[in-house]
Amino acid sequence: MTSSIEPITGRYIRLTVDGTPLRVYFEEAGRGRPVVCLHTAGADTRQWRFILNDEVFTSSHRFLAFDMPWHGKSLPPQGFETAEYLLTTGTYIETVLSFCNALGLEKPLLAGCSMGGRIALQLAALHPDRFAGFIAVEASDFQPAWYDIDWFHRPDAHGGEMGAALVSANIAPQAPPVERWNTQWMFMQSGPGVFRGDLSFYTKDDSLVGRLGMIDTRQTPVHIMCGEYDMTCTPEDARRTAEAIDGATLAIMKDLGHFPMSENPAAFRPYFQEALELMRHSHAELTHA
Amino acid sequence: MTPGTPHTVHRSKLDHMAERLDATPHLLRLGRLFNETVLIEIDQDEFYLTFEKGRVAEIKEGPSKKLPWRFALRAKGEALAKFWHPIPEPGFHDIFGLVKYGHGRIDGDILTLVKNLRYFKEFMALGRREESQ
Repeated sequence: MTSSIEPITGRYIRLTVDGTPLRVYFEEAGRGRPVVCLHTAGADTRQWRFILNDEVFTSSHRFLAFDMPWHGKSLPPQGFETAEYLLTTGTYIETVLSFCNALGLEKPLLAGCSMGGRIALQLAALHPDRFAGFIAVEASDFQPAWYDIDWFHRPDAHGGEMGAALVSANIAPQAPPVERWNTQWMFMQSGPGVFRGDLSFYTKDDSLVGRLGMIDTRQTPVHIMCGEYDMTCTPEDARRTAEAIDGATLAIMKDLGHFPMSENPAAFRPYFQEALELMRHSHAELTHA
Repeated sequence: MTPGTPHTVHRSKLDHMAERLDATPHLLRLGRLFNETVLIEIDQDEFYLTFEKGRVAEIKEGPSKKLPWRFALRAKGEALAKFWHPIPEPGFHDIFGLVKYGHGRIDGDILTLVKNLRYFKEFMALGRREESQ
């Protein structure tokens, strides 16, 4: 029998966001240029585990991935039992900035997937000075829901199981079954109403649309990545968004869906390698100016 | 119906899926509370699948304006053939993909579908398993 301890370490940090004290779980691996990783709606940091376990990346980068409050091992705030969880752009931005401040991160790269990619683009528009570059995975300006978000928080059905069955539509058929199901497991485990509250932010707040023009890739590079099987943020959505940001780069990824780093790590690896490489280059080089 | 017509091909496909369902214990477990009639319309052909405790108890053929159904999946035969391909192309890889990209429609009590979504999607994907053999 063989066993091994992974290089990922997990710790907790106390943050205060909008005056609310929070206990937030984060995982860390690697040394070098800091990269903060953001998970999708209805899931947690485990989505990034293959990147944090990959020496090719951790030999030159320090990855920090945290569970958003209400997600994974981060607790919801005090009084959650009577609160309706509805994530907002403002709270999400403050949470990311508070995490970076608390860890003393100087201009990290920000890599976010889905709603994490959406907030990465919001931060590229509103707080570019705080980051060295943005990798926005399965990210676009805005898409309204093609489903009813209220399906996922009801007294008569299991929101997590329904959420997992819904998001399976966004996993490419090439995903190895074990990782397809591990990806869905995180949704099955999601707390009541959390996926709905994330989707409220993701499918109702279109404030990024008017802000894309504010993004200055001369200051901080922006790379958008989208799986060809993603039907929530489709390749067309990602292309439209990349075209609206002067100097942004775009990769449409083969054999991948909405959870590329989690559903098929081997297929995602070269695309992520390329993304980190692009973060080293200047705007002038990228646009051949 | 004549053997080999699109209608008989569709019917035979659904019969095979029903047989496979009987031989798939985890789906029978997931569907143990599923007792509904689902209309599957392929091109113009109507098939009313009555599920009882997770098994297909009966398939009635339309057209009918009287047979009740809980929800319906309507798609072009061509689109379903792509859906049942072992590695479907983007947009044809999921029943909601068929709907989103205009290759099909889901009507009726969608909430009942969503409550049983994994079960029903895996039932539909049984046709894919057959295709790959």
